[in-house]
Amino acid sequence: MPDRRIYLDHSATTPVDPRVANAMARSVAENFGNPSSVHGFGQQARAAVDRARREVAALVNARPNEIIFTSGGTEANNLAIRGVCHGSTVAARHIVTSSIEHPSVRGVCAALESDGWEVTRLPVYEHGIVRIEDVRHAVRPDTVLVTIMLANNEIGTVQPISEIGAFVRERRAAGQKLFLHTDAVQAAGRMVLNVEDVGCDLLTLSAHKLYAPKGVGALYARRGVRLMGQNVGGHQERERRAGTENVPGIVAFGEAAKIAREELFERTAHDAALRDKFERKVGELIPDVVMNGDRERRLPHLSNTSFRYIEGEGLLINLDLQGIAVSTGSACSSGTLEPSPVIRALGVDDEIARGSLRFSFGKDNTDLDVDYTVEVLVQAVERLRALSPLSRPLVVS
Amino acid sequence: MSYSATFKDHLAHPRNAGELPEATAVAEQTNPVCGDRLRLSLVVHNGRIEVARYLAYGCPPTLVCGSVLTELITGKTTTEAKQLTRADLLNAIGGLPSRKHHAAALAIEALNAALR
Repeated sequence: MPDRRIYLDHSATTPVDPRVANAMARSVAENFGNPSSVHGFGQQARAAVDRARREVAALVNARPNEIIFTSGGTEANNLAIRGVCHGSTVAARHIVTSSIEHPSVRGVCAALESDGWEVTRLPVYEHGIVRIEDVRHAVRPDTVLVTIMLANNEIGTVQPISEIGAFVRERRAAGQKLFLHTDAVQAAGRMVLNVEDVGCDLLTLSAHKLYAPKGVGALYARRGVRLMGQNVGGHQERERRAGTENVPGIVAFGEAAKIAREELFERTAHDAALRDKFERKVGELIPDVVMNGDRERRLPHLSNTSFRYIEGEGLLINLDLQGIAVSTGSACSSGTLEPSPVIRALGVDDEIARGSLRFSFGKDNTDLDVDYTVEVLVQAVERLRALSPLSRPLVVS
Repeated sequence: MSYSATFKDHLAHPRNAGELPEATAVAEQTNPVCGDRLRLSLVVHNGRIEVARYLAYGCPPTLVCGSVLTELITGKTTTEAKQLTRADLLNAIGGLPSRKHHAAALAIEALNAALR
Protein backbone atom coordinates (compact mmCIF):
# COMPACT_ATOMS: atom_id res chain seq x y z
CA MET A 1 0.00 0.00 0.00
CA PRO A 2 1.36 3.47 -0.86
CA ASP A 3 2.52 5.74 2.01
CA ARG A 4 0.12 8.45 1.08
CA ARG A 5 -3.58 7.99 0.31
CA ILE A 6 -5.67 10.76 -1.20
CA TYR A 7 -9.38 10.33 -1.74
CA LEU A 8 -10.68 12.35 -4.72
CA ASP A 9 -13.83 10.37 -5.41
CA HIS A 10 -16.41 12.21 -3.29
CA SER A 11 -19.01 11.94 -6.04
CA ALA A 12 -18.90 8.15 -5.64
CA THR A 13 -19.18 8.30 -1.87
CA THR A 14 -17.86 10.35 1.05
CA PRO A 15 -16.02 9.33 4.20
CA VAL A 16 -18.30 9.29 7.24
CA ASP A 17 -17.94 12.46 9.33
CA PRO A 18 -16.90 11.46 12.90
CA ARG A 19 -19.81 13.53 14.30
CA VAL A 20 -22.18 11.50 12.11
CA ALA A 21 -20.53 8.22 13.11
CA ASN A 22 -20.95 9.18 16.80
CA ALA A 23 -24.63 9.99 16.36
CA MET A 24 -25.13 6.69 14.57
CA ALA A 25 -23.23 4.69 17.20
CA ARG A 26 -25.34 6.24 19.96
CA SER A 27 -28.48 5.37 18.04
CA VAL A 28 -27.39 1.77 17.54
CA ALA A 29 -26.84 1.48 21.29
CA GLU A 30 -29.83 3.45 22.51
CA ASN A 31 -32.61 3.36 19.90
CA PHE A 32 -33.10 -0.32 19.30
CA GLY A 33 -36.88 -0.10 19.59
CA ASN A 34 -39.11 -0.50 16.56
CA PRO A 35 -40.48 2.94 15.66
CA SER A 36 -43.87 1.31 14.97
CA SER A 37 -44.15 -0.03 18.54
CA VAL A 38 -46.39 1.88 20.90
CA HIS A 39 -44.26 1.34 24.02
CA GLY A 40 -41.51 3.61 25.29
CA PHE A 41 -38.67 1.86 23.46
CA GLY A 42 -40.53 2.22 20.18
CA GLN A 43 -41.44 5.84 20.83
CA GLN A 44 -37.83 6.69 21.61
CA ALA A 45 -36.82 5.30 18.19
CA ARG A 46 -39.77 7.09 16.57
CA ALA A 47 -38.63 10.38 18.10
CA ALA A 48 -35.12 9.86 16.73
CA VAL A 49 -36.50 9.19 13.23
CA ASP A 50 -38.72 12.27 13.45
CA ARG A 51 -35.80 14.48 14.51
CA ALA A 52 -33.80 13.21 11.54
CA ARG A 53 -36.78 13.79 9.26
CA ARG A 54 -36.92 17.43 10.34
CA GLU A 55 -33.21 17.87 9.57
CA VAL A 56 -33.44 16.25 6.14
CA ALA A 57 -36.53 18.32 5.36
CA ALA A 58 -34.71 21.49 6.44
CA LEU A 59 -31.83 20.71 4.08
CA VAL A 60 -34.18 21.19 1.11
CA ASN A 61 -36.72 23.52 2.78
CA ALA A 62 -39.47 20.89 2.74
CA ARG A 63 -42.04 19.95 5.37
CA PRO A 64 -41.05 16.90 7.44
CA ASN A 65 -44.08 14.93 6.30
CA GLU A 66 -42.94 15.34 2.71
CA ILE A 67 -39.80 13.26 3.36
CA ILE A 68 -39.89 9.49 2.74
CA PHE A 69 -36.84 7.59 3.94
CA THR A 70 -35.54 4.88 1.61
CA SER A 71 -32.52 2.58 1.36
CA GLY A 72 -30.72 5.11 -0.84
CA GLY A 73 -30.84 7.22 -3.97
CA THR A 74 -31.59 4.35 -6.33
CA GLU A 75 -34.64 3.26 -4.37
CA ALA A 76 -35.82 6.86 -4.10
CA ASN A 77 -35.50 7.27 -7.89
CA ASN A 78 -37.41 4.02 -8.42
CA LEU A 79 -40.12 5.11 -6.00
CA ALA A 80 -40.44 8.55 -7.58
CA ILE A 81 -40.66 7.44 -11.19
CA ARG A 82 -42.59 4.20 -10.82
CA GLY A 83 -44.64 5.65 -8.00
CA VAL A 84 -45.89 8.56 -10.12
CA CYS A 85 -46.33 6.51 -13.30
CA HIS A 86 -48.12 3.62 -11.60
CA GLY A 87 -50.12 6.02 -9.45
CA SER A 88 -51.28 8.05 -12.44
CA THR A 89 -55.03 8.11 -12.82
CA VAL A 90 -54.92 9.32 -16.40
CA ALA A 91 -54.40 7.16 -19.45
CA ALA A 92 -51.19 9.02 -20.34
CA ARG A 93 -48.01 6.99 -20.75
CA HIS A 94 -45.21 9.40 -21.65
CA ILE A 95 -42.08 10.44 -19.71
CA VAL A 96 -39.51 13.12 -20.51
CA THR A 97 -35.96 12.68 -19.23
CA SER A 98 -32.39 13.63 -20.18
CA SER A 99 -29.70 11.61 -21.90
CA ILE A 100 -27.27 11.95 -18.97
CA GLU A 101 -29.29 10.60 -16.04
CA HIS A 102 -27.80 8.35 -13.38
CA PRO A 103 -28.19 4.63 -14.22
CA SER A 104 -30.92 4.33 -11.58
CA VAL A 105 -33.12 6.79 -13.49
CA ARG A 106 -32.05 5.53 -16.91
CA GLY A 107 -32.80 1.98 -15.81
CA VAL A 108 -36.30 2.71 -14.49
CA CYS A 109 -37.18 4.65 -17.63
CA ALA A 110 -35.94 1.77 -19.80
CA ALA A 111 -37.96 -0.72 -17.73
CA LEU A 112 -41.12 1.38 -18.11
CA GLU A 113 -40.42 1.66 -21.82
CA SER A 114 -40.45 -2.11 -22.14
CA ASP A 115 -43.79 -2.04 -20.31
CA GLY A 116 -45.21 0.16 -23.06
CA TRP A 117 -44.41 3.65 -21.78
CA GLU A 118 -42.93 6.16 -24.19
CA VAL A 119 -39.74 7.91 -23.11
CA THR A 120 -38.22 11.03 -24.66
CA ARG A 121 -34.54 11.53 -23.81
CA LEU A 122 -33.39 15.10 -24.28
CA PRO A 123 -29.94 15.98 -25.60
CA VAL A 124 -27.52 18.00 -23.48
CA TYR A 125 -25.29 19.43 -26.23
CA GLU A 126 -21.57 20.16 -25.79
CA HIS A 127 -21.96 21.85 -22.40
CA GLY A 128 -23.86 18.99 -20.81
CA ILE A 129 -27.00 21.01 -20.10
CA VAL A 130 -30.61 20.38 -21.12
CA ARG A 131 -32.35 23.25 -22.92
CA ILE A 132 -35.64 24.45 -21.52
CA GLU A 133 -37.05 24.91 -25.03
CA ASP A 134 -36.41 21.21 -25.68
CA VAL A 135 -38.42 20.38 -22.55
CA ARG A 136 -41.25 22.61 -23.76
CA HIS A 137 -41.28 20.87 -27.13
CA ALA A 138 -41.00 17.37 -25.67
CA VAL A 139 -43.87 17.60 -23.17
CA ARG A 140 -47.09 16.38 -24.76
CA PRO A 141 -50.66 16.39 -23.48
CA ASP A 142 -50.14 12.76 -22.43
CA THR A 143 -46.86 13.35 -20.54
CA VAL A 144 -47.10 12.34 -16.88
CA LEU A 145 -43.59 12.96 -15.61
CA VAL A 146 -40.49 14.99 -16.36
CA THR A 147 -37.46 13.49 -14.61
CA ILE A 148 -34.23 15.43 -15.03
CA MET A 149 -31.34 15.43 -12.58
CA LEU A 150 -30.39 18.57 -10.69
CA ALA A 151 -26.67 18.07 -11.20
CA ASN A 152 -24.86 15.39 -13.15
CA ASN A 153 -22.78 12.78 -11.34
CA GLU A 154 -19.97 12.60 -13.89
CA ILE A 155 -19.48 16.16 -15.12
CA GLY A 156 -21.31 18.09 -12.40
CA THR A 157 -23.34 20.26 -14.76
CA VAL A 158 -26.35 21.90 -13.10
CA GLN A 159 -29.58 21.59 -15.06
CA PRO A 160 -32.15 24.40 -15.39
CA ILE A 161 -34.60 22.73 -13.01
CA SER A 162 -36.20 25.96 -11.74
CA GLU A 163 -37.16 26.93 -15.30
CA ILE A 164 -38.43 23.41 -15.97
CA GLY A 165 -40.33 23.56 -12.67
CA ALA A 166 -42.00 26.83 -13.66
CA PHE A 167 -43.03 25.29 -16.99
CA VAL A 168 -44.43 22.16 -15.31
CA ARG A 169 -46.47 24.36 -12.93
CA GLU A 170 -47.81 26.28 -15.91
CA ARG A 171 -48.95 23.07 -17.51
CA ARG A 172 -50.52 21.91 -14.26
CA ALA A 173 -52.34 25.22 -13.89
CA ALA A 174 -53.68 24.55 -17.39
CA GLY A 175 -55.12 21.24 -16.16
CA GLN A 176 -52.46 18.67 -17.11
CA LYS A 177 -51.53 16.07 -14.48
CA LEU A 178 -47.80 16.56 -14.99
CA PHE A 179 -45.09 16.22 -12.31
CA LEU A 180 -41.40 17.05 -12.07
CA HIS A 181 -38.89 14.76 -10.40
CA THR A 182 -35.24 15.68 -9.95
CA ASP A 183 -32.37 13.51 -8.76
CA ALA A 184 -30.48 15.80 -6.39
CA VAL A 185 -28.11 13.15 -5.03
CA GLN A 186 -25.02 14.96 -6.29
CA ALA A 187 -26.32 18.47 -5.67
CA ALA A 188 -27.31 18.08 -2.01
CA GLY A 189 -24.73 19.56 0.33
CA ARG A 190 -22.95 21.16 -2.62
CA MET A 191 -25.40 23.93 -3.49
CA VAL A 192 -28.36 25.65 -1.84
CA LEU A 193 -31.42 23.48 -2.29
CA ASN A 194 -34.90 24.80 -1.81
CA VAL A 195 -37.76 22.74 -3.20
CA GLU A 196 -39.90 25.88 -3.48
CA ASP A 197 -37.33 27.63 -5.67
CA VAL A 198 -36.52 24.47 -7.61
CA GLY A 199 -40.22 23.99 -8.24
CA CYS A 200 -40.02 20.21 -8.31
CA ASP A 201 -42.64 17.79 -7.01
CA LEU A 202 -40.22 15.01 -6.15
CA LEU A 203 -36.54 15.17 -5.25
CA THR A 204 -34.08 12.39 -4.51
CA LEU A 205 -31.40 12.50 -1.81
CA SER A 206 -28.72 10.08 -0.66
CA ALA A 207 -26.98 10.12 2.71
CA HIS A 208 -23.63 8.68 1.69
CA LYS A 209 -22.82 11.64 -0.54
CA LEU A 210 -23.19 13.84 2.55
CA TYR A 211 -20.56 12.25 4.81
CA ALA A 212 -23.05 9.72 6.20
CA PRO A 213 -22.98 5.94 5.72
CA LYS A 214 -24.45 3.97 2.83
CA GLY A 215 -27.87 2.34 2.96
CA VAL A 216 -30.11 5.35 3.50
CA GLY A 217 -31.67 7.96 1.26
CA ALA A 218 -34.84 9.95 0.97
CA LEU A 219 -37.45 11.06 -1.47
CA TYR A 220 -39.08 14.44 -1.07
CA ALA A 221 -42.65 14.15 -2.37
CA ARG A 222 -44.64 17.38 -2.37
CA ARG A 223 -47.88 17.18 -0.44
CA GLY A 224 -50.65 16.19 -2.83
CA VAL A 225 -48.47 14.20 -5.25
CA ARG A 226 -50.13 10.85 -5.82
CA LEU A 227 -47.42 8.27 -5.33
CA MET A 228 -47.98 4.54 -5.44
CA GLY A 229 -45.74 2.76 -2.94
CA GLN A 230 -43.39 0.25 -4.52
CA ASN A 231 -42.49 -1.58 -1.32
CA VAL A 232 -45.74 -2.81 0.13
CA GLY A 233 -46.70 -4.76 3.24
CA GLY A 234 -46.40 -2.21 6.03
CA HIS A 235 -47.66 1.21 7.10
CA GLN A 236 -44.26 2.88 7.43
CA GLU A 237 -43.48 6.19 5.76
CA ARG A 238 -47.17 7.05 5.43
CA GLU A 239 -47.88 3.89 3.42
CA ARG A 240 -45.38 4.82 0.74
CA ARG A 241 -42.42 2.70 1.77
CA ALA A 242 -43.16 -0.41 3.79
CA GLY A 243 -40.46 -1.92 5.99
CA THR A 244 -39.04 -1.24 9.45
CA GLU A 245 -36.98 1.93 9.32
CA ASN A 246 -33.17 1.82 9.31
CA VAL A 247 -33.13 3.88 12.50
CA PRO A 248 -29.34 4.32 12.98
CA GLY A 249 -28.89 5.07 9.27
CA ILE A 250 -31.70 7.63 9.37
CA VAL A 251 -30.26 9.23 12.52
CA ALA A 252 -26.89 9.47 10.74
CA PHE A 253 -28.57 11.01 7.70
CA GLY A 254 -30.29 13.58 9.93
CA GLU A 255 -27.03 14.56 11.60
CA ALA A 256 -25.24 14.75 8.23
CA ALA A 257 -28.04 16.91 6.77
CA LYS A 258 -27.84 19.29 9.75
CA ILE A 259 -24.06 19.65 9.38
CA ALA A 260 -24.32 19.99 5.60
CA ARG A 261 -26.75 22.89 6.04
CA GLU A 262 -24.61 24.60 8.69
CA GLU A 263 -21.34 24.17 6.80
CA LEU A 264 -22.60 24.50 3.23
CA PHE A 265 -20.87 27.75 2.30
CA GLU A 266 -17.62 26.82 3.99
CA ARG A 267 -17.55 23.43 2.24
CA THR A 268 -18.45 24.67 -1.20
CA ALA A 269 -15.84 27.47 -1.05
CA HIS A 270 -13.22 24.98 0.13
CA ASP A 271 -14.02 22.40 -2.56
CA ALA A 272 -14.20 25.00 -5.33
CA ALA A 273 -10.81 26.49 -4.35
CA LEU A 274 -9.17 23.05 -4.55
CA ARG A 275 -10.91 22.10 -7.77
CA ASP A 276 -10.01 25.40 -9.44
CA LYS A 277 -6.40 25.15 -8.35
CA PHE A 278 -6.28 21.57 -9.67
CA GLU A 279 -7.68 22.55 -13.06
CA ARG A 280 -5.38 25.56 -13.32
CA LYS A 281 -2.29 23.45 -12.65
CA VAL A 282 -3.39 20.63 -14.95
CA GLY A 283 -4.03 23.17 -17.72
CA GLU A 284 -0.57 24.68 -17.21
CA LEU A 285 1.41 21.46 -16.92
CA ILE A 286 -0.30 18.90 -19.18
CA PRO A 287 -0.87 19.50 -22.89
CA ASP A 288 -3.82 18.06 -24.83
CA VAL A 289 -6.39 17.99 -22.05
CA VAL A 290 -10.09 18.64 -22.47
CA MET A 291 -12.22 19.75 -19.50
CA ASN A 292 -15.66 18.22 -19.98
CA GLY A 293 -18.96 19.98 -19.31
CA ASP A 294 -19.90 23.61 -18.79
CA ARG A 295 -17.26 25.63 -16.93
CA GLU A 296 -19.73 27.80 -14.98
CA ARG A 297 -22.98 25.93 -14.41
CA ARG A 298 -21.52 23.03 -12.48
CA LEU A 299 -21.00 21.73 -8.97
CA PRO A 300 -18.08 23.28 -7.09
CA HIS A 301 -16.26 20.10 -6.14
CA LEU A 302 -15.94 18.22 -9.41
CA SER A 303 -13.60 18.24 -12.38
CA ASN A 304 -14.04 15.93 -15.34
CA THR A 305 -10.96 15.98 -17.52
CA SER A 306 -9.99 14.00 -20.60
CA PHE A 307 -6.36 13.29 -21.42
CA ARG A 308 -5.87 12.73 -25.14
CA TYR A 309 -4.06 9.63 -26.46
CA ILE A 310 -4.62 7.62 -23.28
CA GLU A 311 -7.44 5.65 -21.77
CA GLY A 312 -8.93 6.59 -18.41
CA GLU A 313 -8.69 3.26 -16.66
CA GLY A 314 -4.93 2.95 -17.23
CA LEU A 315 -4.47 6.38 -15.75
CA LEU A 316 -6.85 5.58 -12.87
CA ILE A 317 -4.85 2.50 -11.87
CA ASN A 318 -1.56 4.36 -12.20
CA LEU A 319 -2.92 6.98 -9.78
CA ASP A 320 -4.29 4.28 -7.50
CA LEU A 321 -0.85 2.65 -7.30
CA GLN A 322 0.34 6.01 -5.95
CA GLY A 323 -2.52 6.16 -3.44
CA ILE A 324 -4.81 8.56 -5.32
CA ALA A 325 -8.45 7.50 -5.77
CA VAL A 326 -10.43 8.93 -8.70
CA SER A 327 -12.98 7.46 -11.09
CA THR A 328 -13.64 7.01 -14.75
CA GLY A 329 -17.01 6.72 -16.46
CA SER A 330 -19.83 6.33 -14.01
CA ALA A 331 -18.67 4.71 -10.79
CA CYS A 332 -21.52 2.23 -11.02
CA SER A 333 -20.72 1.14 -14.58
CA SER A 334 -16.94 0.86 -14.43
CA GLY A 335 -15.89 -2.49 -15.79
CA THR A 336 -17.92 -2.04 -18.94
CA LEU A 337 -16.01 -1.63 -22.16
CA GLU A 338 -18.19 1.17 -23.44
CA PRO A 339 -17.03 4.77 -23.10
CA SER A 340 -19.07 6.81 -20.64
CA PRO A 341 -22.53 7.55 -22.10
CA VAL A 342 -22.51 10.90 -20.29
CA ILE A 343 -19.30 12.09 -21.93
CA ARG A 344 -20.48 10.75 -25.28
CA ALA A 345 -23.69 12.73 -24.90
CA LEU A 346 -21.51 15.87 -25.06
CA GLY A 347 -20.83 14.95 -28.68
CA VAL A 348 -17.10 14.33 -28.21
CA ASP A 349 -15.20 11.57 -30.00
CA ASP A 350 -14.61 8.15 -28.44
CA GLU A 351 -11.01 8.91 -27.56
CA ILE A 352 -12.04 11.89 -25.42
CA ALA A 353 -14.85 9.87 -23.84
CA ARG A 354 -12.50 6.99 -23.01
CA GLY A 355 -9.79 9.28 -21.68
CA SER A 356 -11.98 11.03 -19.12
CA LEU A 357 -11.36 10.98 -15.40
CA ARG A 358 -13.49 12.43 -12.63
CA PHE A 359 -11.72 14.16 -9.75
CA SER A 360 -14.19 15.03 -7.00
CA PHE A 361 -12.94 16.95 -3.97
CA GLY A 362 -14.27 16.96 -0.42
CA LYS A 363 -14.09 18.74 2.89
CA ASP A 364 -11.03 16.86 4.17
CA ASN A 365 -8.84 17.41 1.10
CA THR A 366 -6.01 19.92 1.35
CA ASP A 367 -3.88 22.13 -0.88
CA LEU A 368 -1.06 19.62 -0.50
CA ASP A 369 -3.36 16.87 -1.82
CA VAL A 370 -3.82 18.89 -5.00
CA ASP A 371 -0.05 19.48 -5.35
CA TYR A 372 0.74 15.79 -4.89
CA THR A 373 -2.04 14.67 -7.24
CA VAL A 374 -0.92 16.98 -10.01
CA GLU A 375 2.68 15.86 -9.56
CA VAL A 376 1.73 12.18 -9.86
CA LEU A 377 -0.70 12.89 -12.69
CA VAL A 378 1.91 14.69 -14.80
CA GLN A 379 4.25 11.69 -14.54
CA ALA A 380 1.52 9.09 -15.16
CA VAL A 381 0.17 10.93 -18.22
CA GLU A 382 3.69 11.26 -19.61
CA ARG A 383 4.39 7.57 -19.06
CA LEU A 384 1.15 6.42 -20.69
CA ARG A 385 1.51 8.81 -23.61
CA ALA A 386 4.99 7.44 -24.25
CA LEU A 387 3.24 4.09 -24.71
CA SER A 388 0.41 5.31 -26.89
CA PRO A 389 0.26 4.52 -30.61
CA LEU A 390 -2.52 7.06 -31.12
CA SER A 391 -0.34 10.09 -31.69
CA ARG A 392 2.12 8.31 -33.99
CA PRO A 393 1.34 7.14 -37.50
CA LEU A 394 1.98 3.50 -38.24
CA VAL A 395 4.93 3.16 -40.64
CA VAL A 396 5.38 -0.28 -42.13
CA SER A 397 8.61 -0.70 -44.02
CA MET B 1 -10.66 -5.69 -9.05
CA SER B 2 -7.39 -7.12 -7.80
CA TYR B 3 -4.47 -7.40 -10.16
CA SER B 4 -1.29 -9.42 -9.51
CA ALA B 5 1.94 -7.83 -8.30
CA THR B 6 3.46 -8.62 -11.72
CA PHE B 7 0.59 -6.81 -13.40
CA LYS B 8 1.00 -3.69 -11.26
CA ASP B 9 4.74 -3.71 -11.76
CA HIS B 10 4.42 -3.78 -15.56
CA LEU B 11 1.77 -1.07 -15.45
CA ALA B 12 3.92 1.25 -13.36
CA HIS B 13 7.17 0.28 -15.13
CA PRO B 14 6.43 -0.74 -18.71
CA ARG B 15 9.23 -2.75 -20.36
CA ASN B 16 10.32 -2.30 -23.96
CA ALA B 17 7.98 0.59 -24.74
CA GLY B 18 8.47 2.35 -28.04
CA GLU B 19 9.22 1.71 -31.68
CA LEU B 20 12.25 0.49 -33.63
CA PRO B 21 13.55 2.49 -36.59
CA GLU B 22 15.48 -0.64 -37.64
CA ALA B 23 12.45 -2.96 -37.22
CA THR B 24 12.22 -5.88 -39.62
CA ALA B 25 8.57 -6.50 -38.76
CA VAL B 26 5.82 -4.18 -37.52
CA ALA B 27 2.19 -5.05 -36.87
CA GLU B 28 -0.70 -3.23 -35.28
CA GLN B 29 -3.93 -4.83 -34.13
CA THR B 30 -7.10 -3.09 -32.97
CA ASN B 31 -9.95 -4.59 -31.02
CA PRO B 32 -12.99 -3.42 -32.99
CA VAL B 33 -15.30 -3.71 -29.96
CA CYS B 34 -13.46 -1.59 -27.43
CA GLY B 35 -10.92 0.26 -29.56
CA ASP B 36 -7.86 -1.13 -27.74
CA ARG B 37 -4.79 -1.03 -29.93
CA LEU B 38 -1.39 -2.70 -29.79
CA ARG B 39 1.59 -2.04 -32.07
CA LEU B 40 4.49 -4.46 -32.05
CA SER B 41 7.89 -3.77 -33.65
CA LEU B 42 10.51 -6.52 -33.97
CA VAL B 43 14.05 -6.93 -35.11
CA VAL B 44 14.32 -10.54 -36.30
CA HIS B 45 17.77 -11.75 -37.22
CA ASN B 46 18.60 -15.29 -38.36
CA GLY B 47 15.17 -16.50 -37.31
CA ARG B 48 15.50 -15.10 -33.79
CA ILE B 49 13.70 -12.13 -32.22
CA GLU B 50 16.54 -9.94 -31.06
CA VAL B 51 14.61 -6.84 -30.03
CA ALA B 52 10.90 -6.24 -29.38
CA ARG B 53 9.11 -2.97 -28.66
CA TYR B 54 5.44 -2.17 -28.22
CA LEU B 55 2.98 0.70 -28.05
CA ALA B 56 -0.47 0.26 -26.58
CA TYR B 57 -3.69 2.18 -26.09
CA GLY B 58 -6.53 0.85 -24.02
CA CYS B 59 -7.44 -0.63 -20.69
CA PRO B 60 -4.65 -1.59 -18.26
CA PRO B 61 -4.60 -5.30 -19.26
CA THR B 62 -3.83 -4.28 -22.85
CA LEU B 63 -0.95 -2.08 -21.70
CA VAL B 64 0.41 -4.84 -19.49
CA CYS B 65 0.00 -7.61 -22.10
CA GLY B 66 2.15 -5.59 -24.51
CA SER B 67 4.87 -5.17 -21.92
CA VAL B 68 4.87 -8.82 -20.80
CA LEU B 69 4.70 -10.10 -24.38
CA THR B 70 7.89 -8.26 -25.36
CA GLU B 71 9.70 -9.85 -22.42
CA LEU B 72 8.42 -13.32 -23.32
CA ILE B 73 9.45 -13.20 -26.97
CA THR B 74 12.82 -11.45 -26.82
CA GLY B 75 15.52 -14.01 -27.60
CA LYS B 76 13.07 -16.62 -28.85
CA THR B 77 13.16 -18.06 -32.36
CA THR B 78 10.20 -17.13 -34.52
CA THR B 79 9.10 -20.78 -34.43
CA GLU B 80 9.07 -20.73 -30.64
CA ALA B 81 7.29 -17.37 -30.56
CA LYS B 82 4.57 -18.61 -32.91
CA GLN B 83 3.74 -21.34 -30.40
CA LEU B 84 3.04 -18.79 -27.66
CA THR B 85 -0.64 -18.88 -26.66
CA ARG B 86 -3.05 -16.59 -24.91
CA ALA B 87 -2.87 -18.90 -21.88
CA ASP B 88 0.93 -18.56 -21.74
CA LEU B 89 0.60 -14.80 -21.68
CA LEU B 90 -2.14 -14.89 -19.04
CA ASN B 91 0.01 -17.15 -16.87
CA ALA B 92 2.98 -14.82 -17.18
CA ILE B 93 0.81 -11.89 -16.04
CA GLY B 94 -0.52 -13.79 -13.07
CA GLY B 95 -4.03 -14.12 -14.49
CA LEU B 96 -6.73 -11.68 -15.60
CA PRO B 97 -10.48 -11.54 -14.98
CA SER B 98 -12.22 -13.39 -17.84
CA ARG B 99 -13.80 -10.20 -19.18
CA LYS B 100 -10.28 -8.86 -19.74
CA HIS B 101 -8.95 -11.89 -21.64
CA HIS B 102 -9.46 -9.98 -24.87
CA ALA B 103 -6.30 -8.04 -24.00
CA ALA B 104 -4.19 -11.20 -24.19
CA ALA B 105 -5.93 -12.20 -27.42
CA LEU B 106 -5.04 -8.83 -28.96
CA ALA B 107 -1.37 -9.22 -27.99
CA ILE B 108 -1.13 -12.72 -29.48
CA GLU B 109 -2.87 -11.52 -32.65
CA ALA B 110 -0.34 -8.69 -32.96
CA LEU B 111 2.51 -11.15 -32.48
CA ASN B 112 1.17 -13.54 -35.12
CA ALA B 113 0.60 -10.65 -37.53
CA ALA B 114 4.18 -9.46 -37.04
CA LEU B 115 5.57 -12.95 -37.59
CA ARG B 116 3.42 -13.64 -40.65
